[in-house]
Amino acid sequence: MKRIELAKNAYLNILPAEKFNRCRITVQLRYHANREKATACALLPFLMERGYADCPDPTALSCRLAQLYGATLSADATASGSCRSLTVSVDGIQQQFALQGECLAKEYAKLALGTVFRPALKDGLFDPAEIEIEKKKLAEELAGEINDKRLYCLRQARRKFYGNHPAGIERIGYPEEVAGLTAQQVTDAWKWIVENSHVEVFCSGLDEHQAAELVQAELQNILRNPQPLPGAQAMPAVELQTYTETMEMVQAKLCLLFTVENFDIEKELSAMRIAMAVLGGSPTSRLFMNVREKQSLCYYCAASFNSFGGMMCIDSGIEPENAETAQQAILNEWKSLCEDLPSEKEMEDARRFILNSLAAVGDSISAQENWYIGQLWRDCTDSPEQVHQQLLEVTPKQVQQAMNKFRFSVAYLLTKEESADE
Amino acid sequence: MNETTIQALRTAAQCETIQLENGMTVLVKPMEGYRDVHVICGTRFGSADCKFEMNGVQHTLPAGVAHFLEHKMFESEEGDAFAQYAAVGASANAYTSFDKTCYLFSTTCGVEKALDILLKLVSRGYFTKETVEKEQGIIGQEIKMYDDSPEWRMMFSLLQSMYHNHPVKDDIAGSEESIAQITPEMLYECVKAFYSPANLVLAAAGNISKQQILDAIERAGLTHEKPNVKKLPIQEPFETVCKYREFEMSVSKPMLGVGYKEVPPTTENQLKTALICDMLSELVCGAMTPFYRELYDSGLAGADFSGEFLCIENALCLMFCGETDQPEKVRELLQQEIDRLRCDGVNEELFMLCKNQMYGGLVCELDSTSGTAGALCAGALKGYTLYDEMSCLVNLTVQDIDSALQTMLLEENSVSVVIRPESEEEQDD
Repeated sequence: MKRIELAKNAYLNILPAEKFNRCRITVQLRYHANREKATACALLPFLMERGYADCPDPTALSCRLAQLYGATLSADATASGSCRSLTVSVDGIQQQFALQGECLAKEYAKLALGTVFRPALKDGLFDPAEIEIEKKKLAEELAGEINDKRLYCLRQARRKFYGNHPAGIERIGYPEEVAGLTAQQVTDAWKWIVENSHVEVFCSGLDEHQAAELVQAELQNILRNPQPLPGAQAMPAVELQTYTETMEMVQAKLCLLFTVENFDIEKELSAMRIAMAVLGGSPTSRLFMNVREKQSLCYYCAASFNSFGGMMCIDSGIEPENAETAQQAILNEWKSLCEDLPSEKEMEDARRFILNSLAAVGDSISAQENWYIGQLWRDCTDSPEQVHQQLLEVTPKQVQQAMNKFRFSVAYLLTKEESADE
Repeated sequence: MNETTIQALRTAAQCETIQLENGMTVLVKPMEGYRDVHVICGTRFGSADCKFEMNGVQHTLPAGVAHFLEHKMFESEEGDAFAQYAAVGASANAYTSFDKTCYLFSTTCGVEKALDILLKLVSRGYFTKETVEKEQGIIGQEIKMYDDSPEWRMMFSLLQSMYHNHPVKDDIAGSEESIAQITPEMLYECVKAFYSPANLVLAAAGNISKQQILDAIERAGLTHEKPNVKKLPIQEPFETVCKYREFEMSVSKPMLGVGYKEVPPTTENQLKTALICDMLSELVCGAMTPFYRELYDSGLAGADFSGEFLCIENALCLMFCGETDQPEKVRELLQQEIDRLRCDGVNEELFMLCKNQMYGGLVCELDSTSGTAGALCAGALKGYTLYDEMSCLVNLTVQDIDSALQTMLLEENSVSVVIRPESEEEQDD
């Protein structure tokens, strides 16, 4: 990846796209999570997907995207520890496939940049009528989180884990605040993000100079005062908190969260990657092989590590009556990795699994972009090839040490009503 | 279309096709600059294939056998194929749909070994009473997981409202009761009938050559046996089962589903019909239509309100689903919009935009190894190529859509399903 600084805390990241049939541009604004502005910030992606200054009508925007051979425009709010980001991506076919030979990449860039930096405003504000429409959608999305039981259980557990810490500020906003949002608040939130954020633009398939020119033209017209971003977070170890919530459902969900202590993101991430694959992040992992396959206690059971939020998550789908046994079996696997070194075979299986995934990163336009988006959160631009070398050097002892850095903090069980009564 | 575009399209859609003596179809698409290899092996055996005749003997299967077999094929006397794949560094998966079962892997290393595992996996089964019983428990859990998904339950409620006998009405994984009837003997019969090379398609894309695939097939020593198998037709009346159903789930908002039971196309018309259905769902309520905008901006429906279709042997239907607080109102407006389109004809500009969008979708699909291998395999299982698909799309006219609308999406052939949030009283019980 070629990284070019265009202005203070504003970068253009050029990624290769020669072998792909499509090109992609992503504009990401990174900022410190803010509790007061959280719900207004969560509404912005909804408004941005409706249109922007040059194409304010949602139906006209959909037609424009179809005209560009079904290009897709997506706006999203994402979280990374105590940071948040507003991200807009446009993805579509490369020029050589255009039936009339149109210059498509430049159009995609104009759409993405325009959406982020020049929203459709009326008298300096987002249109109040459109805000009312999208407020309903946001409220529905928030109320609808119970429809996906796995995700709901995970979010509930995370709420308990982070409590009032900035890392726990809801990326999707707060239901009780949606109705009261005004056009002024939402417009202020957008201006605040644009002014205070770090700008990262990722271009795959667009000429570097053309891209730089387009980004600079947008940056020239806006007020910028980027603020420092917080680094990786870790919650202090606490006494285990256990929660059970019931609702009408068939399969129960169990989410176990662990905080990490004294974790050096720069030096220990490769060991942690292998540790996760050994414990529960691969088809040869202990959770998959032992808890799911041998003991048949879960339909799915996986472990993952959020390096920026300092959290290991093990989530599983279980029979309601097996909740206690499944939790114990999962904890046993973790504890056994804390006490004993993983075998050479486990190490090699895990390493092979990760190396194989890393080698394929460059074969997908979105995977290569996601890789560098993740790397830049950690202030790092190492390529998959560079990380490959670090992974080769991880020892069983380092994996054991990584496992010993976790403290069990939250157990959240979402289960059906009658089983909780039993 | 200029010369550069024609050339680019040719390169993107080009692949090597080999019809082996044992009947297996092999498609290989080497992709320059890619490190990954994606290989899919598919059989024309899905959840809807419940009745067949093999060498003169009739077989009737309980619901869920194809999916059950998908799980069991990963086991052999030497152990679990997942573990074998992992040992060479490959990621493997499999899936079953109404009309096919596919086994796949992706890898950037050890491709020969991974191919050997795949070809062994699809060419012989190993089933015992104990392993079948164990799998019944595992799949029982999978079925329960889907029971909590409103989208999944909506789809099958619509299909059950439309179809009396056709197996599309049954969950792809079957039910706990139906899979309890599965025996090792039944599985062996299905392997014999549907996993012979003549019924298989192997598609590979990425950092791979035709020779690597042919060598692997040679090493696998696949049988040349071609059992005489005939899928038996299902007698399905054209009438729907019931016009309306509703039930409750723990969802935040009601969900509406409207299904239209259509006359299934002939085999040679399947591709064109599928493209017409795809386009119809977009022209009725896609994001470019004023109707979508009306529903969205009035708060009657969310961005998820959309149409999809099912087009397989002897079954064709379209389904429109989404969340809404006013299911009856949305259902009425949907039918009005369809009737308006039927009467006024489809807007030609919108039709061209839809065509553009579908063309872009096809091109994008072909820039990943998984998308390319998947598209090649899916097409070959249905008997067409990527070129056929692109040509069919290019030749589609607005008259084709207008003409289809005269006999499709008729109110008399429709059914509706509403999922309502659990009532308060019930929650308190």
